[in-house]
Amino acid sequence: MKVRLDPRTKLYMILIVSAIVMMSATTPLLWTVRIIMTMIPILLLIAEKRYASALRFFMLYIIAIVLTFYFLSADSTGLLKALLTGYCGIVAQFLPALITAWYVVRTTKIDEFMSAMQKMHVPDGITISLAVVMRFFPTIKEEYASIRDAMKMRGIALADGNIIKMLEYRMIPLLFSCVNIGDELSAAAITRGLGGEVKRSSVVELKMSIADYLLIVGFTVATVIFVFFKYVKR
Amino acid sequence: MDTKKLTAKDFITIGIFTAIWFVVEFAFGMLGYIHPYIVAGYVVMLPLAGAIPMMLFYSKVEKFGMITIMSVLIAIIMFVTGMGFLGAPIVILAGIVADLIAKVGGYKNFKMIVISYGVFCIWICANYFPVIVTAESYKQDLIEGGFSAEYADTLFRAINYKTIAVLLIICVIFGFIGAYMGKAVVRKHFEKAGIV
Repeated sequence: MKVRLDPRTKLYMILIVSAIVMMSATTPLLWTVRIIMTMIPILLLIAEKRYASALRFFMLYIIAIVLTFYFLSADSTGLLKALLTGYCGIVAQFLPALITAWYVVRTTKIDEFMSAMQKMHVPDGITISLAVVMRFFPTIKEEYASIRDAMKMRGIALADGNIIKMLEYRMIPLLFSCVNIGDELSAAAITRGLGGEVKRSSVVELKMSIADYLLIVGFTVATVIFVFFKYVKR
Repeated sequence: MDTKKLTAKDFITIGIFTAIWFVVEFAFGMLGYIHPYIVAGYVVMLPLAGAIPMMLFYSKVEKFGMITIMSVLIAIIMFVTGMGFLGAPIVILAGIVADLIAKVGGYKNFKMIVISYGVFCIWICANYFPVIVTAESYKQDLIEGGFSAEYADTLFRAINYKTIAVLLIICVIFGFIGAYMGKAVVRKHFEKAGIV
């Protein structure tokens, strides 16, 4: 099964999930809504054939939920328990947003994203910058991994325990490579006519499909239910 | 390039530095789950750690709008990562003011850049905004959201409407210090290498 979602639907999903994430779930019903909303991006990840990450997120979320519900409570004290409570709380609370964001970033092609933003009349500055930010996180990770490898090879991974040195040894090379990549990126972008005067056309034809409408309606209904039962009918 | 308008190259620069800034922030933000006092300590750590990429960024800023757009992006990312939209106006406002201050110095005057960076760092305090404005319900949310009551209590002892002024001032001051430090690092590593 292949589901190709419109980037606009994905953005809407991010918006809704981030909003829901900020409101804590207090009753079993609210938790149900929340868990269902978390499962949707996981299912979408499966539909995109990203089984490994789907499984990873699923396990992480389930473990956090189970721990939160059965083993921990607000008055658990002691360092380990407090740490664990905090950690599980964070995971249970914010992982939905992270999963959704991860799904969107990983499955949206930059050109799709750009043309969707263009259709929504977002200013070019924001569109381009955001697209670069999206594309750049994996790059930073890669660069950082190779910097770490290089440090290990030279035996300065811990920099003799000097924290400032540790920071410097990591940050400076990272900045160097990022600046260089940035220059290459802008050269590539200008070649493709980014930032020109004319309106850019796009190869991808964006179209809302049934799946899009279903998801939008589904998420809207879930939000209405959530807000209603949290604030109106306590 | 003598145009006043921002070009694609500028936008890409903004994107890159926002990504770096965010990674730095995220790395330090994770520490906050260890102890609430570290959350209050962001005002010291983030301006210092973020200063190096920011000073490099400032050296590339030439036109009005770049810092503003960066603050808009930070606001968006903050929202997406679940930190709320309450702080967003402050973030963007801090960005615009920082941009204006740097503009007065023509984006080259180092004193103005220092002040501008200090103002820009105010956005870090915007993260505390929900803690202060909606203190009671936020506390409830934290506890229900799985934080221990101990954590919540300590967090509110460290951050409330009485301490926010102090935190804000500390934040700006460390922004100034960070700017000098960052500039020194940029000079040591980047200007010598001819990258700036």
